[in-house]
Amino acid sequence: MGLPDSCQDLSTEMEVDAFRRLFPLRFFERHLSESLRPDGRPLGKARDTNVNLGLVSSADGSALAKIGSTTMLAAIRMEVMTPSTDSPDEGCIAVEFHMPPICSPTVRPGRPADEAPVISKRLSDVISSCDMIDLKELCLVSGKAAWMGYLDIYCLDADGALFDAALLSAVAAFSNLQIPVVALNDNGRIVAINGDGEQENNASITEKEAVNKEKRKLTLKNIPFSLTCILHKKYILADPTAEEESIMDTLVTVVLDSSDQIVNFNKSGGSALVGSSAIKSCVELARKRGKELKQILGDMDID
Amino acid sequence: MAAKQRDAATTYSPRIIARTRPPIFKDSDLDWTRPDGRGFHQCRPALLQTGAVSSASGSAYAEFGNTKVIVSVFGPRESKKATSYSDVGRLNCNVSYTTFASPTLGSQGTDHKEYASMLHKALEGVIMMETFPKTTVDVFALVLESGGSDLPVVISCAGLALADAGIMMYDLITAVSVSCIGKRLMIDPVTEEEGCEDGSFMMTCMPSRSEITQLTITGEWTTPNINEAMQLCMDASSKLGDIMRDCLKQAASASDE
Amino acid sequence: MVGVSVGEQNFIKGGIAQDLRTDGRKRLTYRDIYLETGVIPQANGSARVRIGGTDVIASVKAEIGRPSSLQPDKGKVAVFIDCSPTAEPTFGGRGGEELSSELALALQVCLLGGKSGAGAGINLSSLLIKEGRVCWDLYIDGLVISSDGNLLDALGAAIKAALTNTAIPKVQVSAEVADDEQPEIDISDEEYQQFDTSSVPVIVTLTKVGNHYIVDATAEEESQMSSAVSISVNRAGHICGLTKRGGSGLDPSVILDMISVAKHVSETLMNNLDSKISAAEACEDES
Repeated sequence: MGLPDSCQDLSTEMEVDAFRRLFPLRFFERHLSESLRPDGRPLGKARDTNVNLGLVSSADGSALAKIGSTTMLAAIRMEVMTPSTDSPDEGCIAVEFHMPPICSPTVRPGRPADEAPVISKRLSDVISSCDMIDLKELCLVSGKAAWMGYLDIYCLDADGALFDAALLSAVAAFSNLQIPVVALNDNGRIVAINGDGEQENNASITEKEAVNKEKRKLTLKNIPFSLTCILHKKYILADPTAEEESIMDTLVTVVLDSSDQIVNFNKSGGSALVGSSAIKSCVELARKRGKELKQILGDMDID
Repeated sequence: MAAKQRDAATTYSPRIIARTRPPIFKDSDLDWTRPDGRGFHQCRPALLQTGAVSSASGSAYAEFGNTKVIVSVFGPRESKKATSYSDVGRLNCNVSYTTFASPTLGSQGTDHKEYASMLHKALEGVIMMETFPKTTVDVFALVLESGGSDLPVVISCAGLALADAGIMMYDLITAVSVSCIGKRLMIDPVTEEEGCEDGSFMMTCMPSRSEITQLTITGEWTTPNINEAMQLCMDASSKLGDIMRDCLKQAASASDE
Repeated sequence: MVGVSVGEQNFIKGGIAQDLRTDGRKRLTYRDIYLETGVIPQANGSARVRIGGTDVIASVKAEIGRPSSLQPDKGKVAVFIDCSPTAEPTFGGRGGEELSSELALALQVCLLGGKSGAGAGINLSSLLIKEGRVCWDLYIDGLVISSDGNLLDALGAAIKAALTNTAIPKVQVSAEVADDEQPEIDISDEEYQQFDTSSVPVIVTLTKVGNHYIVDATAEEESQMSSAVSISVNRAGHICGLTKRGGSGLDPSVILDMISVAKHVSETLMNNLDSKISAAEACEDES
């Protein structure tokens, strides 16, 4: 293969954009050798991140998270269900991650993206295993009624590190969640009580005691944060973009909780073998990133 | 575990859905105000923004009151399902709703085939299809939140996204709807108004050429009412067209700097 | 699609411009309409309409159903259209599906009126048997057997005739039952009720070819159209629905002009159809 040599020669005279397209790996490796990434970030730095709360008025809790241009919209709708017999005083959370065709050129209508169900499952595992929410708090009437929280996360713009952004938006949506005020009516159904108007509808339940007396928030006991890194040769790149993900394929995702315990660790495929020192550095990067994200979410709460 | 429960457990929303026509118009037409306090011939304030999705060729976000829509345009790119040669381009449209788009819709966040075909019809007349032979332009819309007049907002937003993508068009495209309740005509109706309307009128037009590319009327209408509705829509369209033009200019000047 | 040479195209367009179409009609003249009712014995009502080479069948089937919770005081109507591949080879597969759903949507818009039910051709409240519990569900099926243009008008006429032909059994609802249970119903074998179809609108499609518009276009003429507007008009002369096909835009004044022309044409069409329907009904009663 005479390719490496010829491209090295070419690289001096070829336009940067053309070189990036034709020899993406070489293009990146040239950058990496200078400890810099094409978008100007150092290797271990994540992109600008911000979170907005309560954008969807038809949901009970919602959040929009942006990491670089990766954008996630998460919303929670609370519905009432009959709890299962093995856990009569627990509610439930159902998580679903969607990648609509608007988010990326690779997703076409009618053919759901391959990664969507995988991320769905991982999110659902992380949220249930890290002890963030006490499902007992979702109980309304023991054995009769409990809350079912439908958490739907829509990817509006896919530019790498989808899991990180999805988890961040999910956590933010939970912090924004307001559990509605409800009461039990004569037919044994749970109905909402609106503070304003519609009194005639509620005539039959005004005497009944409200099951959930005031709007309340969930207590988030333990908050998970995650960081995805690319391992390529000796380099570790935090928070990859879609372009970087498509070129270098060894991804490691570390999920840490508030006390820096590892909740979930995932190395999906890729050709690179991971040494323990690399893993340690990934965890260290994730710990730093967790602090940043905590700060970002903390700023939100004050508002 | 949780995901499986979703199918098995039957859940219901505790919210009460109004089943009767709200007593907004009985005899006293005059002292009634719209749910959001607008005048009858006043549109909701429009927020438009281009470049919402970085990975698309062009995209736009539109927010009219509670109606929030993102449209991405991809292409012109290789046709996936086209089998035969075509010397004009193809247009492929898709409209879907999020599961939380509307409290009454339930958890069916699905494709809206009807809207997709209406969007296609509204756009095909304005795009210069001959400028991209053999290829397809994909227009995908996602309704984040449904607050009434969803289809007109989707169409206008798609027009902006197409312009952002640099697809050649004869003109910008704007869509406006009018609801008829009793004797009143209301422009840009919200969900509550659409739910109890006697007739609806949706018009898609090219504001600078003042040409109508798509028109749908339902319910019973007299000719004077149609005249009035058309005039209302034309005025609103030209205003919306100006807003869209400003939005595109701003985006262009921002990228120059 | 119809293959039309450049010469033929000019011939069609020129004829339309001079108010003399290839089959000798004027711009606003319909082809002869042949109408027959009661063609499908197992349906509650049916009709077949032939306009020139266009041949369609509509059938109405009524079933007992439950009103939707959003509109407990109304019955339900659904319109389905099937374009048989025998009518045209392009109807096979996806092409037929798209056209079918487009026609069904247009018919629904024309027949069912606004969300509140105003201007509806079929009074949905008359389909109610017991509020919130039992109602009639009407399934209107249209089948396109042969296609030579102007499908929508033909289907609209066939549905109007089929509804006139429809007889729904009288239903007795048994005495009060508990709130949650479905009441027992007794469907009569002898007594039938008929629909009042006087308010069902007719559909007039105006096809724009060149600078002029024509009614009842043939497939050849449709291949030359720039756009087409279908307008449904009821007996009172009110517009009950309007849809537009075809890519090119229209000036607002042209649309208003089309509406007034459609109103004018609809009067003759309505009278023509009514006499044909009553003749067909009388003929069926005799046989």
